[in-house]
Amino acid sequence: MKVAEAKALSESSPAADGATPVIVSKGLTVGYKLHRERKQLTALRNINLTINRGEFVVLVGPSGCGKTTFINAIAGLVEPWEGTIEVNGRPVTGPGPDRGMVFQDYALMPWRTVESNVRMPFELQNLNLSKEEMNERVRRYIKLVDLSGFEKSYPYELSGGMKQRVGIARALVSEPDILLADEPFAAIDAMTREAMQSELERFVANTGQTVVFITHSIDEAVILGDRVVVISYRPGQIKEVVDVNLPRPRFDYDVKMLPEYGEMRDHIWRLVKDEALQTARGVQ
Amino acid sequence: MATLDDSDRTSVEAHTDPSRIQDTGWTMSEVWSRYGPWVVTIVNLTAFFCLWQLFAMSGAINPLFLPSASSMFEALWHGLTTTAPPGAVVSGSIADHLFYSLRNLSIGLAIACVIGIPAGLLMGGNKYVEMILSPYVWALASLPRIALVPLFILFLGFTVKMQITIVVLSAVFPIMINAWAGVKTTEKSLLAAAKVFGASRSDLYTKVVFPYTLPFIISGVQQGIGRGLIGVIIAEIFGGSNGLGYLIRRSADTFNSSLMYAVLLVLVIVSLTLIQFTRWLEAYVAPWRHMDRL
Ligand SMILES: Nc1ncnc2c1ncn2[C@@H]1O[C@H](COP(=O)(O)OP(=O)(O)OP(=O)(O)O)[C@@H](O)[C@H]1O
Ligand SMILES: [Mg+2]
Repeated sequence: MKVAEAKALSESSPAADGATPVIVSKGLTVGYKLHRERKQLTALRNINLTINRGEFVVLVGPSGCGKTTFINAIAGLVEPWEGTIEVNGRPVTGPGPDRGMVFQDYALMPWRTVESNVRMPFELQNLNLSKEEMNERVRRYIKLVDLSGFEKSYPYELSGGMKQRVGIARALVSEPDILLADEPFAAIDAMTREAMQSELERFVANTGQTVVFITHSIDEAVILGDRVVVISYRPGQIKEVVDVNLPRPRFDYDVKMLPEYGEMRDHIWRLVKDEALQTARGVQ
Repeated sequence: MATLDDSDRTSVEAHTDPSRIQDTGWTMSEVWSRYGPWVVTIVNLTAFFCLWQLFAMSGAINPLFLPSASSMFEALWHGLTTTAPPGAVVSGSIADHLFYSLRNLSIGLAIACVIGIPAGLLMGGNKYVEMILSPYVWALASLPRIALVPLFILFLGFTVKMQITIVVLSAVFPIMINAWAGVKTTEKSLLAAAKVFGASRSDLYTKVVFPYTLPFIISGVQQGIGRGLIGVIIAEIFGGSNGLGYLIRRSADTFNSSLMYAVLLVLVIVSLTLIQFTRWLEAYVAPWRHMDRL
């Protein structure tokens, strides 16, 4: 299959089965202290997941199930309560240049222009790039997310979807090994979204990046993911990991027309629906 | 690594084509919304002073309490165009006193900024500094500063030092408290983003907390200017022989109501100018905040 070949090529030291684990979560339990109520909330319980180099893993699950918490743990923004989370064989102790992130709430600096926001990773970490290379990359990634001409705009002058695309460019500009994307296309209209999905698929096939991607759209999960991880509601646990064995590039093969696509989609949809129903019952 | 040069996505490009940003001409209503307020204000103020003049000329109120607008403008013109002869002990000129008051106000504000901004930032950034300083800051900030004037007259006499001290005390707390609040309310997600992209601890302060806090500091300075102006006038009214406050007291003592009204008008103008200056400063350093207000 095409994917397997592409992956094998991009691998520096492939293991026997051609897969190098990049992100390894063992018995990961994470939560938050609720200061006001002297309580603590377990957001994720006992997560066991291994993500290999070049893999595209999509997380789905009802709102509040702990998807953002999981990628925050990978990013090093929250500490495990129990269990371990390792990136490239080392326990995560904090953020690092090997991981880039697209934030659910954009998190753009309002005092910086589009260009300056995208350039920010270069200011904060030393990547041994020349000035010209940095400028070139900033320009290239702004073009990739289709914001050429808006370099000098401030975030308040942009629409929600445009802000989100600035966030995507900022995460990609340093070309990190691992891309953590928290609902990166949520605010983008259906047409542009499809174009960006296809763009992203092509992009990561070229770079060999490992992607952990959160979405609420099951179509998006199936169309993009090598594996779809369904997370159950509070505390979030892995309910099922679904392998998506569809040919890539998915947009060239028009996989939405394949019967397997529909089956996969229905299967995941049922899993998520059960969870969502339990959520609704829990609320009552 | 990445090969993106083949990104020819004509379907998407239409959405965000830069050519959508076009120069638009001026319509009549835009011209009016821009210059209309000025026209209205000028007509309004002219009418106000004319009515005042007519009312004063009618003799309904003793000119000692309400001089005519024309005599006030005359006193103003005279006061602003003449200066005291060299060596004079007491000046009758508004310009001299205005300069004196403004100088003390500026020095006091500068000192208040130099103390207040770092202190506020430190209080926001370090919980021990906050714990130790906050009771004093709240106590002094809530105390009416005018109550301290006699104390400082006792310490320092009717000196420039006393007046500047009052200005500093008046202005330093709003500046400090605003800077403190700015640091405290810095958005968590912005800090998280900076951390993810490699910010060190000092980067977090210089690249996130400080720019986020800057508009707070400016509005602190804005409040500080207002309070400082009150401080400087009160200090001068209490004693001394210089400054606009002194001139108000003296014009009252000498029953010179035209001069007093002229000084009050100068104060209004000074205060409005300073406020406008800080608004402009805010719009300049924090345009993203300015947009919210419109
Ligand atoms: N900073 C925080 N402090 C306290 N509780 C938090 C915090 N962040 C998240 N939580 C709680 O942790 C749980 C998981 O949150 P998380 O943001 O990971 O959910 P999510 O799956 O990303 O949801 P969504 O799809 O709505 O973004 C939620 O129940 C939430 O209440
Ligand atoms: Mg989330």
